[in-house]
Amino acid sequence: MPEKHQPELKRSVTPWGSFSWGYSDVGADIFVGLGLVLGAAAGASNVAFLFAGIVYVCIGLAYTELAATYPVAGGGQYFVMRGLGDFLGFIAGWAVLLDFTIDVTLFAWSCVDYLSEVVPVLLNPIHPWIHFIAVFGLIAGLCLLNVLGVRESTTFNGVVSALDVISETSILFFGFLFAFRPELLVHTMTTQWPSTFNLMLGASYAIISFVGLESISQAAQETQRPASVIPRTSIALILTILIYALAYSNLALGMVPWHQVPPDAMGHAQTLWQWLGNNDNNGKAVALLAKEVPYFGALAALYVPILGAILLLISSNSGVFGSSRIAYAMANAKLLPSIFQRVNRRFRTPAISIISFCAIAVVELVFAAWPSLDPGAAAFYAKFFHGEGGIGFLGDLYAFGAATSYSFVFLALIALRMNDPLSPRKFRIPFNIPMTYKGERVLFPVIGVLGFMGILSILVFTILTHDLGRIAGPAWLILGFIIFVIYRRNKGLPVFGSAPHDWRHEQIGILRDAGELELMDEYLASLKAREPARATEAR
Amino acid sequence: MIAVNPIGAVIALALVLAVVATLWWMLHPPISKVQEIARDAETELERMVGSIIVVFSENIASQHMMALAAKLAKGERSELLAIYVVSVPYSLPPDAEMTDEERRALDALGAAQAIAAKADINLRTETVKARSTKQAVLDIAKRERANLIVLGSFREGKYTGAPLSRTIEEIAAEAKCDVIIGVEGKHGNLLVDQLGFEQVEQGEKAP
Repeated sequence: MPEKHQPELKRSVTPWGSFSWGYSDVGADIFVGLGLVLGAAAGASNVAFLFAGIVYVCIGLAYTELAATYPVAGGGQYFVMRGLGDFLGFIAGWAVLLDFTIDVTLFAWSCVDYLSEVVPVLLNPIHPWIHFIAVFGLIAGLCLLNVLGVRESTTFNGVVSALDVISETSILFFGFLFAFRPELLVHTMTTQWPSTFNLMLGASYAIISFVGLESISQAAQETQRPASVIPRTSIALILTILIYALAYSNLALGMVPWHQVPPDAMGHAQTLWQWLGNNDNNGKAVALLAKEVPYFGALAALYVPILGAILLLISSNSGVFGSSRIAYAMANAKLLPSIFQRVNRRFRTPAISIISFCAIAVVELVFAAWPSLDPGAAAFYAKFFHGEGGIGFLGDLYAFGAATSYSFVFLALIALRMNDPLSPRKFRIPFNIPMTYKGERVLFPVIGVLGFMGILSILVFTILTHDLGRIAGPAWLILGFIIFVIYRRNKGLPVFGSAPHDWRHEQIGILRDAGELELMDEYLASLKAREPARATEAR
Repeated sequence: MIAVNPIGAVIALALVLAVVATLWWMLHPPISKVQEIARDAETELERMVGSIIVVFSENIASQHMMALAAKLAKGERSELLAIYVVSVPYSLPPDAEMTDEERRALDALGAAQAIAAKADINLRTETVKARSTKQAVLDIAKRERANLIVLGSFREGKYTGAPLSRTIEEIAAEAKCDVIIGVEGKHGNLLVDQLGFEQVEQGEKAP
C-alpha cells in the first residue's frame, strides 16, 4: 500500500518486462504439469487441460480487472482484503504463501529432472539421495542468493522468456507439422478415456499449469502505466499459456514419435503419452516430447533440457522472493507479525522472511522425497496415501493453494464490483448484469460466478483425489489461522473483522502514483458527483 | 519418411500466427494523453532540429548557445553549421580585408569546433562577409533549409541591460524557421561552464 512519506518503487517494468515476469512463473508450469496430467488423465488429458484452461481464463480475467483497477503490490491477498475484509484477505494471502513455497520446491525438483537429461546421474533410481541433495542444494542456493540480495535481472528474465516462447512455438510448430496424426488423437481419446476419478485428478493437476498470474499483479506497483499495460500483458499471458497447454496435450496424444518409445519397467510396450506420463519421466515431459519431434528433435534435445531447467530455476526463484514479498505486504497490512517486514541491516533484504519460507520449502521437499529415500516411509505412504509422494505431492499442494486463493479472488471481484463501483476500471470482464445495489448502479460479473464455480470444483477435485494433499493443505490453513489469531489478539486488532481503512483516499493515491491521471480525474469526478465535500477533502 | 498431415500443418500455422498476433497486440498498448503530448513534442523537436545553424557575429555572442546546440544535435542527430558573419560597412568594398574581425571569427569557430569535438558530433563552419548580418543569416538559413537558428544575445546587452539587439530581433521576426535565442541572466552562464567552453576558448587563444 502506498505511503506518502516512503519512497515509491520506480516504475520501470515495460510491457515485455511485465509479460516476462509472469511468463517466467507461469511459462514453467507446463514443464511440470504436462507429465502429471498425462499420467492421470490419459486419453482425456486435453479435456482436463481444456477444463482447467477455461477456469484459468476466468481467473486471468478477474486478475486482469483487479490488477488494473488496484495496481499495488500484494496481488490476490490485497484484492481479497479490500473486497472481503482482513480475515479472508489473510486466508487468501496464506494460501498464496503455500503456493510460493511449493513453487520453490516443485520447480527446483523439476529443474533437476530436466538437468538429468544432460547429467543422467541426477535422476538415478538406485541413488535417490543424489536427486534429493541436488534439489536441496538449489533451494539453499536460491535462499542464500536472495538473502545476499542477488537477483536475476529483468533483462535476463526477458531474454529467457523470449527464448522460451520461440522454443516452445517451434517445438509445437514442427510437432504438428511433421508428426501430428488427427486419427491417432481420436483413437487415443476413444480407447484411453480415463475413469471419472482420474479425470478429476487430471483436471486438478492441469490447473497447476496455469498458476502464476499472481506475479503480474505482484509487479503492478513497478509497471509503467499499469492500468493500461497490465490488461494487455495478462491477456497475452493467458492466451499464450492456454495455446501452449492445449497444443502440448493434443500433440502428446496424437503424435507419432520420431524414435521407438522404450518399454516400461515391466517390459511392456507403451505409447508416447504413457511414456511421458510415467513416474520416471513426468518431471521432464516437455524435453522428452521435444526430442521426439522429427528433425527438430535433434536440435531440441540439445537445448530444451537446459532452457527448461533455466526457466524452472527462475520460477523457483520467483517463489523465494514472491513469498518474502507477499509476507512483507501482509505484515504491512497487519495480517502477519512485523518480523516479516524486518530488513537485514547488512544485506538490506528481508532475510528472516526469506529463510523462514525456504525452510518451509525444505520441509515440503522432505515430505515429497521421503518415500523414495526410505522404504519404510514408502510403505507408510502406500498404506495411508495410496503411494502419493514426490512431484505428485507437490502438485497436490500447489493445486490446493492456488484453488483456495483463486476462489477468494473471485468472491473479492464480485464484492468489489458491488461495494466499490466508483473505482474506474480500465478493463472490465465482459458479460455483466446491470443492477442496483445500495442505491448504486453496479455491474454484476457473471464470469466471476462461473469462474468461482469452476475453481471451487477444482478445489473439490483436489480434496477428493489427493490423499496427502487433503490433509496437508487444510493443515497449512489451520496453522496460519492459529498464527493470525495470536497475532491479532496481541495487537488488539479484530480477528474476524477488519482494521479501519480509508479506501477512497488510498485509491486516489494509488492512481496518482501509478501515473493514471485520467483515471484519477474520473474517480474524483465520480466521488464528487456523489459526495462533493468528501471528494475535495480526499484530494 | 515423414509425411505432413494437412490438418497438422494448418494447426501448426494457426498456432504460430496466434502466438505472434497475441504478442504483437500486447506490445502495442494504447498511449495515454500524457504520452501523446510527449510523443508530439518529440516529433516536433525532431522536425525542429533536423538542421541547425548557430550564428556568431561581432554583435551576437553565441558561445554559450553553441554548447546547447551541440547537445541538441547529438541527441537528435542533426546537421550542425556554425557561421560567423563579418559585417562589412558600406564605406568599404565588399571584399575588404577585416583582419581583426576575421581573427575573432577564427577564434569563435575554432572554439565551436572544439565543443563539437568534445560532444562527438560533426560541425561545419563558415565565415561570411556581408553588409547586413540579418540578411546573411536569413540567406544561409534558406540555402541550408535550416530548421532552427540558434542565436546568443547582444554582446553589449550585459552592460546596456537590453540583451536583444535590433539584428537579433529582425532575424527572429523574419526567419522562415524556428529561432532559439539564448539570453544569459545577470549572473547566468547557461551551459558554458558545464562543457568547459571558456577553457576551450581560452586554450585556443593562448598561443
